[in-house]
Amino acid sequence: MAGTDGTQVLHENHQAMTIFGKAICFRHESILLLILAAEWLFFAAAGRNFTTLDNTFNILRHSVEIGLLALAMTAVVLTGGIDLSVGSLLGLCAVLFGTFWRDAHLPVWAAMLLTLGAGAAAGGLNGTLIAWLRLPPLIVTLGTYSLFRGLAEAMTHGVDTFTDFPASFLFLGQERWLGLPAQAPIFMCFAGAIWLLVHRTTFGRSLRAIGFAPEGARYAGIPVRSRLAAVYLLAGLTAAMAAIIYTARLGQAKADAGVGYELFAITGVVLGGVSIFGGVGSVHGTLLGVAAIAVLNNGLAHVRQPREVAGMLTGLLLLLALSGSELLKRLATRRGRCQPSPATTKKA
Amino acid sequence: MKTYSREISVALTLGGLLLGLAIFAPSFYQAQPLLSLAAREAPTLVAACGMALVILCRQIDISIGAQFSVCSVCAGLLAGAHWPFPLVLSASIAMGASLGALNGSLVAGLGLPSIVVTLATMVTWREGLRWLRQGTWVDLPEGSQWFGLRQSAGQWTLIILALTVLVLLAWAMKHLAAGRFIYAVGSDAEAARLAGIRPRRITFAVFVFAGALVGLAAMMNLAQSPQVDPNSGTGLELKTIAAVVVGGVAISGGRGNLWGVFAGLLLLACLGPALTHLHVQAYWEKAIQGSVILLAVVADGGHRRNPGSP
Repeated sequence: MAGTDGTQVLHENHQAMTIFGKAICFRHESILLLILAAEWLFFAAAGRNFTTLDNTFNILRHSVEIGLLALAMTAVVLTGGIDLSVGSLLGLCAVLFGTFWRDAHLPVWAAMLLTLGAGAAAGGLNGTLIAWLRLPPLIVTLGTYSLFRGLAEAMTHGVDTFTDFPASFLFLGQERWLGLPAQAPIFMCFAGAIWLLVHRTTFGRSLRAIGFAPEGARYAGIPVRSRLAAVYLLAGLTAAMAAIIYTARLGQAKADAGVGYELFAITGVVLGGVSIFGGVGSVHGTLLGVAAIAVLNNGLAHVRQPREVAGMLTGLLLLLALSGSELLKRLATRRGRCQPSPATTKKA
Repeated sequence: MKTYSREISVALTLGGLLLGLAIFAPSFYQAQPLLSLAAREAPTLVAACGMALVILCRQIDISIGAQFSVCSVCAGLLAGAHWPFPLVLSASIAMGASLGALNGSLVAGLGLPSIVVTLATMVTWREGLRWLRQGTWVDLPEGSQWFGLRQSAGQWTLIILALTVLVLLAWAMKHLAAGRFIYAVGSDAEAARLAGIRPRRITFAVFVFAGALVGLAAMMNLAQSPQVDPNSGTGLELKTIAAVVVGGVAISGGRGNLWGVFAGLLLLACLGPALTHLHVQAYWEKAIQGSVILLAVVADGGHRRNPGSP
């Protein structure tokens, strides 16, 4: 091969690489969107009443709590951390809310405020241990996972259930407001706020920087510790919010509220393309991930499949999404081995 | 002495707990309940050894509870079909090893993060098992309980088996090349590679081995009851991770040993019965276990070289 041809080929290869690299940048979200559309079409064809507005709202109503947790988890995972305690904290906050309202005879709004405060304090505990004592997030939140659930069980002796909440409170979880499920506007506002926070503020940028390289972020003048603490505090606050909505939706609060929700939230986040090592990912990706799981669950119920199938398929979907995107990345680096493209190495 | 300070402090805490029980609640020391407790925890010890190897290798496996359930149900079905005991045992171990091999190939082969891979396989196995079996219990044939021995003999067999696994592994981790390779890969995979170790192979092998140990643990659990509970593995991953962490194994890999894990497991296992004997309501068990994990990790804070790593 003559020299000019060689450079020509290299050049074309590089161009193809850049295009491919760009495709990869949008890869995860677009693939997820395709999966979501495929799910929607399949269930619309196979199930009855799947496409009705009522059902869409039903899906929305049932995914609000996990969606909230997943949004906060996105910020946590972007910093390279993880929070296993959110599901347990949801349970503890539900029980606390019930206690404040029924046993302390507080009005509902005061109980809500106190619950939010308790959630923030619990998140602050995680944040203090992780950011100031520099302990590994996985183990700290594993400990608080056990601690928060244990406190909820100890407070209710494992059996006590809070019920008979006033109708004005249940409105939040069961009724409609402007045609939408009442909790939907809260969720949308929160999702919008988190999106702005992560993608349009220096705070959000600093989270990615911390996820990429904590030491580098510190040298760049980012207050790593307070940012980390803030993220875990936000996760605690969100768990309290989810607990209130959960209680309003079910009309009862028990110590086992939200068991396993942390795994659903993490699944949604990872499916949404957020790297578990931190630094890479987006809020809309997470929303798509949560939606893909929620539609799968709801749709399979419409075609009369048991819930277990939905769970199993969620696991398989996660495995496929992970190995698929890893294989694509490898394919890209193999093609571009003669000339590594900066576009992919930066983003990938 | 300094090298083992972490293990010694766990052992001292355990000693303190046992001493306190001897003074305030001597009823804790009755032979029969203690023997049952030890036999009940024997499978957990075997599984915790597997988890310790995985964590020493700087990975994590949260699917072992689901693996445990799958192995239990498979072994139960085979035993119900009157397969001879050695065959059922090998089938259970092979089942665990192949489930571990899948995790291992995704983690070592594709380089995916182990926590996410094993989260996905955990959900898949657990829900798949529930779907196929609908939560039904598997009846075991008559006389298979306690390996066909008397109850106390069966319990002693289980305890001795678990201790043998522990001693062999603890020895192997210290004196065999394979054991040192695990520490090397867990401390620094790149340095290990430059020293001529193949980190991927080691990682893969560790996942397979941990799976095999889970298969063995499932068999040991099977021997204790006339039926197989399809949910018997629920929460096993958290229990074993807690024991490993309390036992002083660094979650960032490469530091810790199996004797610490043994002490950590004993400490956590004694907490529940100890609460009952000290007349604390049993509902507090989880909260106290969580506090013990947090205390252990806070106490660990000063030892760590590598802060902030996930």
